[in-house]
Amino acid sequence: MSRKELLSKIGLRADGRRAQELRRIRCKLGVFTEPDGSAYIEQGLTKVLAAVYGPHQVRGGRSKAQYDAAIVNCQFSMAVFSTGERKRRPRGDRKSTEMSIHLKQALMATIKTELYPWSQIDVYVEVLHADGGVYAACVNASTLALIDAGIPLKEYVCACTASLANNDIPMVDISYQEEVLGGPTLTVAALPMSEKIVLMEMTQRFHLDHLPKVLKEALRGCKDIKVILDEAVRNHLVNVGSSSGWVKNK
Amino acid sequence: MPVDNRRITVPENTTCYNLFTKSKSFKNRCEHFINTSGKRPDGRKAEEHRKIFLQMNVVTQAKGSAYIEVGKTKVIVSVFDPRGIPNNSDYKQNGELYCEFKYAPFSCTKRRLHQQDSEEKQKSLIMKRSLESAVCRHEFPNFQVDIYALVLENDGSTLSAAITAAGIALAQAGIPMYDIITAAEFGYQDGTYVLDPTSQEERICSVTMQENNDSANEFKPQGIIILSMLLTHQQVSGFHANGNLRLSDVNNSFDVISRATADIANLVKKNLVKQVIKNVQENAIKK
Amino acid sequence: MSLCEAEKTFILHGVEENFRIDGREREDYRPMEVEIGIISHAFGSARLRLANTDVLVAVKIEVDTPYPEKPSQGKLDFFVDCSANATPDFEGRGGEDLATGISNSLSDAYRSSKAFDLKKLCIMKGQKCWKLLVDILLLECGGNLYDAVSLAVKAALWNTRVPGVKSVGIDGKNVELNVSERLNDCVPLDVSGAPVMVTVCKIGEYCVVDPSAAEEKCSSAALVVAVSQGNITTVLQGSAGSLHPTTLMDSLGLGVEVANQLNIALMETLQSAPPHFDVGFLK
Repeated sequence: MSRKELLSKIGLRADGRRAQELRRIRCKLGVFTEPDGSAYIEQGLTKVLAAVYGPHQVRGGRSKAQYDAAIVNCQFSMAVFSTGERKRRPRGDRKSTEMSIHLKQALMATIKTELYPWSQIDVYVEVLHADGGVYAACVNASTLALIDAGIPLKEYVCACTASLANNDIPMVDISYQEEVLGGPTLTVAALPMSEKIVLMEMTQRFHLDHLPKVLKEALRGCKDIKVILDEAVRNHLVNVGSSSGWVKNK
Repeated sequence: MPVDNRRITVPENTTCYNLFTKSKSFKNRCEHFINTSGKRPDGRKAEEHRKIFLQMNVVTQAKGSAYIEVGKTKVIVSVFDPRGIPNNSDYKQNGELYCEFKYAPFSCTKRRLHQQDSEEKQKSLIMKRSLESAVCRHEFPNFQVDIYALVLENDGSTLSAAITAAGIALAQAGIPMYDIITAAEFGYQDGTYVLDPTSQEERICSVTMQENNDSANEFKPQGIIILSMLLTHQQVSGFHANGNLRLSDVNNSFDVISRATADIANLVKKNLVKQVIKNVQENAIKK
Repeated sequence: MSLCEAEKTFILHGVEENFRIDGREREDYRPMEVEIGIISHAFGSARLRLANTDVLVAVKIEVDTPYPEKPSQGKLDFFVDCSANATPDFEGRGGEDLATGISNSLSDAYRSSKAFDLKKLCIMKGQKCWKLLVDILLLECGGNLYDAVSLAVKAALWNTRVPGVKSVGIDGKNVELNVSERLNDCVPLDVSGAPVMVTVCKIGEYCVVDPSAAEEKCSSAALVVAVSQGNITTVLQGSAGSLHPTTLMDSLGLGVEVANQLNIALMETLQSAPPHFDVGFLK
């Protein structure tokens, strides 16, 4: 064999998952006290922290402010120890700037910016460990942080990655090893309930005929992630609410 | 560290020739540090400061400037008018000082880069902290005063020379100040101390000595201390110590350094008075 | 954050009566939590939470050539990153000045060989040595950064395991390095001398240890002392402000005393830590 198979004969991947299984997701809202909203998410080994500040006055002058909507400012930063080989600079390089722009695009689709004219909402994402699906984890963490900050959203925005194994079988939630082994990776950020796609990005290539099924897998992944995030939010709400008595602990 | 793309630097895989010459061992150099008659290689006693030469108004373009020579160390400091703080949108109640301490590339034994490296950035910060207590910052709110210190030759005690010269330059520039500020350096090594170390002595004081078996129980302090004092108020405006020192060592060094700063302050006062007399005479001649 | 005069006076009065805003005395620290081994693929890591100051430190090790003028010493490099999570001012390059300040003071504190012996990191004199890259991520700044960072760095270094070298040989110009892959062959670092930094702030007439963010704003002067095994390795000024010589000496004395106690407390906690219990940010 020249390279490891993405999917073995009995249908298991390198980390023991099946093709349609997501990695274990653990998350927490309200990790820090200083930001208005913060969240931490672990998707497999990928660990991401998100912090939200706002809405507050636009920093850096009124020229950037918009009269009818809030501006959303995102910053994507990877800790220098997050990748296997140590990164020299945490942010400011092309890739981080591109990720920040993509993140902003995904969040603008769901934040009700028309409610906060002349304001700014800052979303800062810090990647502690990158093990594939980094952008997806960032979007999910940002959603949770925005909910924690109490910023009105149209609905959850979730992101998921999908790939094609053995040129035939679609897989969901790609880890770093699977990315590197050469499989094409499709990243989709979507609004799961209204079934709208916010951002779609792909590396490598595969034939157009395969696109519908890979896309379907990714969207299904987004829906599953939304269920997990929703449960986490409700648990957090019960925790916070029961301490002040306005939610009855079951 | 940001890479300087505009200047052509030395070829990359070069090493200094000094590494291949026969140099004295560290122990050997320490023996000359303070020899038996209590004198240092340049003939000074342990508590003796080098002779200082001060001159004001050396840089015509700057609002205030000063040139200081401490032995072979030469530092030139220029101070510019207060200007608005760049990249700042909120109002600051107190003025800011922007200090830049730089070694000229030719000033040290090993060639320095044109851009500030981390050691120079740290010295800039120490200088800034020391000068901030001396300047009446509430007199120029939301403004920034630039202070640039350039070391033309490094023979030890560069930072203290720069702080003293900066104090004079600020006074000449007309920036309101609370007091005269002077600074001195002090080094500990091998059971003895030296005031105002030369660069050789500074290098010796920066290295931890290997412990011999017989003196394993005896603690020998090692380090460099920089102290800057405000003369009349007798307050410590800047303090920085580095090495391996006990609290008692720091305490003991204090008297020696503060006496040295007081002596330097006398020289500073004389210079300032001389400059004022000169200005008055020049104005009288003009009229 | 900005404080009005009334708040500053309130804090000042509290310090005078030895009863600070959160009920502490002048020489009390806020509750601290330290967790080690939190970053699984780093050679050593630690996370320290000092009230609402949060610092994450990871140590990575590389093989490198020693400096030509120091052939038998390894290298120790500090890199501090101020994450924008802490405050929006740290966005982009906003936190760079603070980061350079902290990493410079750490390099200063660890420079003495009594604090950290670089000779132990040498593999082959003049050819190969270990380079320790200590990466510090500031996640939240709630006052007293220097203390939190120095304690987290010490904990991370304590947790670091240097891979064991099975054999090293030189063949003409090529150095053949054979590093053991077994976890049991890893060598822990000696951190008994690693310095602990203590920030002493002068508020009004009294000196206070472990200032919160609000207390830092009301202080007239601040001193940071790095103490290693009872000796001072570095003293630097944390903020502008002059001190009377006696106050300076008193603050140094207080700093040394507190640092010694902190050091004992940290080592006790680290040594009695339960074996790997992965919690991280989930609690």
